[in-house]
Amino acid sequence: MTDATYTGSGSRTWRRLRRNPMVTIALGVLILIALAAIFAPWLTSFDPYETALRQRLKPPSAEHLLGTDSQGRDLLTRLLYGARTTLLIGCAGTAFGALLGGAIGLCAAFYRRLDGVFMRVIDVFLSFPSILFGLSLAAILGPGLDSLIIAVGLSVMPGIARISRGAALSVMAQDYMDSGRSIGLPDRSLLGRYLLANAYPPILTYTTLAFGDAVLLAATLGFLGLGLQPPTAELGSIAAEGRSFLFIAPHVSTAASILIFVIVLSFNLLGDALRDAGDRRAS
Amino acid sequence: MIARLLRRAGISLIVLAGVLLIGFLMLQVIPADPAVAIAGPQGTDDEIEAIRRHLGLDQPILLQFVWYISRVVTGDMGQSVINNASVSAELLRAAGPTIELMCAAMIWAVPTALALGILAALRRGGIVDRLVMAVSVMGVSVPVFWVGLLMIQFAARTRAFPIQGRGGPLWTAEGLSHILLPATALGLILVGPVARMTRTTLSDALHADHVRTARAKGASELRVVLNHALRTALLPIITLVGLQVGTLMGGAVVTETIFSWPGVGRLAVGSIITGDYPMAQGAIIFLASAFILVNITVDVLNELADPRIGSRS
Repeated sequence: MTDATYTGSGSRTWRRLRRNPMVTIALGVLILIALAAIFAPWLTSFDPYETALRQRLKPPSAEHLLGTDSQGRDLLTRLLYGARTTLLIGCAGTAFGALLGGAIGLCAAFYRRLDGVFMRVIDVFLSFPSILFGLSLAAILGPGLDSLIIAVGLSVMPGIARISRGAALSVMAQDYMDSGRSIGLPDRSLLGRYLLANAYPPILTYTTLAFGDAVLLAATLGFLGLGLQPPTAELGSIAAEGRSFLFIAPHVSTAASILIFVIVLSFNLLGDALRDAGDRRAS
Repeated sequence: MIARLLRRAGISLIVLAGVLLIGFLMLQVIPADPAVAIAGPQGTDDEIEAIRRHLGLDQPILLQFVWYISRVVTGDMGQSVINNASVSAELLRAAGPTIELMCAAMIWAVPTALALGILAALRRGGIVDRLVMAVSVMGVSVPVFWVGLLMIQFAARTRAFPIQGRGGPLWTAEGLSHILLPATALGLILVGPVARMTRTTLSDALHADHVRTARAKGASELRVVLNHALRTALLPIITLVGLQVGTLMGGAVVTETIFSWPGVGRLAVGSIITGDYPMAQGAIIFLASAFILVNITVDVLNELADPRIGSRS
């Protein structure tokens, strides 16, 4: 969609970004959540898997800041560990999609004969409902971690492929590509040392932004029961567990949903700000 | 134009073949051997071998794929392993409610989004504009299931609307009250993106030369906006709304599950979780094919509606 938006030097964009208070807030929130997820075992004294049935569905209190879930587990602890799982799935899926999409985009720009076919396929993938990837993979591999990661990867792949192709095409027009070719470098070094080394910044930026969608998809598939199975703490499945007790203890679903919402919203706000900063420079 | 459409249709056929291949693979990974299942616990090895030959399971896999395609094309997608119901029959029964739900969501969401987008484009930077932008960012960030859960909580507390299932045909009060919540939840996904697209496209159109000309010759503001700017902006908006069908379908899977709406999405999720492979592959093929079909239709409509017909190859 925005093939050429992110090209060029980043420092001026960055300065413009820092002046935007929204960016500071979103970035701060994300860093906070990421740190809390990483250091979860040190932040809470509760065990995310040990059940205490006498303590089930307790509302928030001094001991359990967010209350307890249907198995009597501390909800805040579950959420911290759940954020860990969900963010990890998002990372792994996005990384997988970035590798695949990046390779496709670079190859499409480098081997011009492949371009038409590759981009046609990418267009189809781009419009395909990402939930269908999740459904098909869960049906083939069975619900679980690997099908989740592949599904998330396939859904972020087409966007990254487009950005990579755009970035790579502008690098291909540079003189040093011709120079490299004329001194007889093999395609392998041209692709890796010349093309990738110069085209990667916009690809990296876009990949970071695709992360929000990746998290939302992972959580949605988790909610549908197509992801990790209970008792694994994962934000989407925590929201689904709470659904059975929606009327007596709405806090379980609500807390998990709000956390997902905040993570995804922060990423999307960052993405919008970055796109605006890029656009203004272009015009 | 014909060539363009044919090329598009060609790509879609390839995609469809890919979808069928995935469906076929799904049936290949079934843990249970269908021949063993049919022979039953008392089946001897010879009997199993005979059934296998009868089903063509001893043939090369490529040939089996060709057979599979011919079966799917004739509407035979096998039987559910849970209740032995015909997959095609179940899908046909579920298709109606899904189409109903998606249409009900679009009927309120698209006009609302158009109105919001137009208002936002007219006053860039105004209150409506900021509201539209905020709502659209939140709309793409919010988990659909949360919107559904909040509505269920609200409806249960006020006891205003039924929260589970379909209440019969839409022209009855019962049917209408049942579809209200799921259609609202599903439509909300659409409002943000469509309003945003309308805003962007229309503000571009408002700065076009022919709009300035219209203003210059003294046309009223209403006429300028509706007759000159919106008309040129409508075409890209229709395309973009068409592209949202994918989002809508994904949302339908979630909303159907939450509100127990008896549609294809719920069928797909349920059959995957219970391990009903034939039903799952049928539902996925059905959803994917429907999506491809809608996309082709949008393409064709676009070509037909475009006044610059023929000028493009």
